[in-house]
Amino acid sequence: MNDLQPALPVLSARDLCREFSLPGDRSLEVLRHLDLDIHEAEMVAIVGLSGVGKSTLLHCLGLLDTPSSGQITYRSGGQTWQSPGLSEPQRCGLRNQFIGFVFQFFHLLSDLDVLENVMLPAIVGTPKSDWKQRKPQIEAKARTLLETVGLAGREEQAPGTLSGGERQRVAIARALINNPRLLLCDEPTGNLDSSTSEKIHTLLRQLHEDLGTSILVVTHDPDLASRADRRLAMVDGRFEKSADHPSD
Amino acid sequence: MQYQTFLSRRYLKRRWAPWAATVAVALGVFSLISVLAVMEGFKLEMKERIRGSLSHLVVKGSAMRLLVGEDPLLQAARQTEGVEAASPFIETLAIYKSTVLDYCILRGIDPSTEPEVSDFDLYLLSDDEIEQLQADPFRMLPEDRPPPDPQRVADVFSLERRRQMLRWNLRGDAGVGFAEEAPPQGLVVGIEALRSGRVALGDIVQLSTYSPVSYEPRIGKFIVVGAFQSGVYEQDQRWAYSDIRALQQLLDLWDEEAQDMRITGISLRLADYSQASQIKDQIHQEISRRMDLDPTEEDAIPWRSLEIKTWENQRENLLQAVEIEKRIIAAMMLLIVAFAAAMIFLILMLLVIEKNRDLGVLRALGATRSGVVRLVLKQGMFLCITGAAIGLFGGWLLTENINEIHESIYRATGLRLFPPDIYYLEQIPAHLRWQDMVLVCAPTLIFGFFGSLLPALWAGRRDPIKALHHE
Repeated sequence: MNDLQPALPVLSARDLCREFSLPGDRSLEVLRHLDLDIHEAEMVAIVGLSGVGKSTLLHCLGLLDTPSSGQITYRSGGQTWQSPGLSEPQRCGLRNQFIGFVFQFFHLLSDLDVLENVMLPAIVGTPKSDWKQRKPQIEAKARTLLETVGLAGREEQAPGTLSGGERQRVAIARALINNPRLLLCDEPTGNLDSSTSEKIHTLLRQLHEDLGTSILVVTHDPDLASRADRRLAMVDGRFEKSADHPSD
Repeated sequence: MQYQTFLSRRYLKRRWAPWAATVAVALGVFSLISVLAVMEGFKLEMKERIRGSLSHLVVKGSAMRLLVGEDPLLQAARQTEGVEAASPFIETLAIYKSTVLDYCILRGIDPSTEPEVSDFDLYLLSDDEIEQLQADPFRMLPEDRPPPDPQRVADVFSLERRRQMLRWNLRGDAGVGFAEEAPPQGLVVGIEALRSGRVALGDIVQLSTYSPVSYEPRIGKFIVVGAFQSGVYEQDQRWAYSDIRALQQLLDLWDEEAQDMRITGISLRLADYSQASQIKDQIHQEISRRMDLDPTEEDAIPWRSLEIKTWENQRENLLQAVEIEKRIIAAMMLLIVAFAAAMIFLILMLLVIEKNRDLGVLRALGATRSGVVRLVLKQGMFLCITGAAIGLFGGWLLTENINEIHESIYRATGLRLFPPDIYYLEQIPAHLRWQDMVLVCAPTLIFGFFGSLLPALWAGRRDPIKALHHE
């Protein structure tokens, strides 16, 4: 695929299943034959009750977990990757370059300052030989992203000194440092008050529109879900047929 | 910069606990390096002193039959390439009575040729030096002694010297049974025999021994004409030297069959000691060849069994004991390093538990399992290498300044950690060898590596999903 064929989704999941073994030869089927396409510059929200498999789906799509069966295809710049069939370095490379993660609990590294936290995915993805050459660009980009999320001047601060909303904004900047094709957000406002959540919703929507990054957001928050181009409701490991598809 | 280096720096910069492992490694390496350097210094010093009082090689006959044919033996040895000098000797055990009954190893030497094969002339003390050393048991010979004079060895056993000592002995007492014209044979004893008061300069000592040939008891009277200090306590206490000819007479070493005097053996000095093994073989061949000749031939040596030993062979047990002692101490002290590696292991395990979530985040951001393993391994090895480097530097610093530090402790506390009268050393000898540095650093790094590897592998196996759910 290439950029001239926008019809092909950035991510396609087909017949995705995830089963967990339980003691006594029992098993728990969390994802049941799911199909999902996420298109270029599309924002998709997945809603559902706790335990329906939203996070498991996110982990499978984010290559942190391996589905029991089914196939996931990632497309970027004319290249295609299919899972299963990816080696460990390929999976890690895709997590680093193709996907950006935003977690409910921010997961900033307390030993790094704000700027270093934002730079971290780029540091992980830059070979040692290129570091000296790329460092100024990475640092400049991290500063720009912090400015975009409204945290200019806070670069040297420790994450512990920031409020919850500010930390989540740092986490969003971190997720965007490598220009990912897909942003996976797991309950990004689940740990924030309503006013801060509102700001994060606006920020995500704005970044989505400005940068054209595809976003898949798992949320309980109806307000955030309503801002998505498409909303999928998940029940017992499947998407509900009555899901709202505003972009369709 | 790799992210492992970047994160390791941040983690270690903001925590003091991991550095405890570095301190432990540094202390272990420091102790090992210092102890090994001092032990090596002692070993070298001891070897040098033993070597000085022995010749490079000795050709020895059996205890009962000894060797016969002193001249052709010396000739055979001196003609061998690589042999610089040769001198005959006799060695026997003797009992003497002073304040108590005591024994000594009595060596008969040729005063004119002995200085060519050993450092006896260097160790021989002047009367002034004997007086000074006897007056102060802590006193050592000054560094700026006059160079050794081989003539002094001949002088100390000379008739003139024996007469002089007898005159001194006879002051106020004429009852020793010797006329000044025919004094007893001279005896040079070790300085420790004088210091202990068992004998004194000018004393007439009665030595009792057995003839190694006839097993008849032999009693001889000798006059103490001088003293030596070799620096090896045992030798300075037990060894005594006399003229070889006097001892041959006393022990009745005449060999009727060969019509010659027997000797215990000959001492040899080599131009290059590293060639000792080849020269040993050559001498053995040459002597064997001469022993096979017709006895009427001029070069012939009467057949006797013999053995040729280097000075190290002669003191093999002692040298091995020192080496084994050094190894045992090194092995035991390696436990300190092993303990330090265990500390690295525990500290890294705690760090992995503490940073479990960070490791999950890193995996989510694209770090591979092996990358996470390297991250933890790098921290462990950094702590270990830093500790080893500090310990190595500290050990080197101590080795270089050990005597200044020892002197400072003495001035501050009055405590002598290395009393010169026991160790015969005014200064603590310390010699740091690169082999010892490798011996210390290699196991340290290996222990450190395995101490770091287990937590690193454990970190690599952590499930990123579980780690991310942890808050």
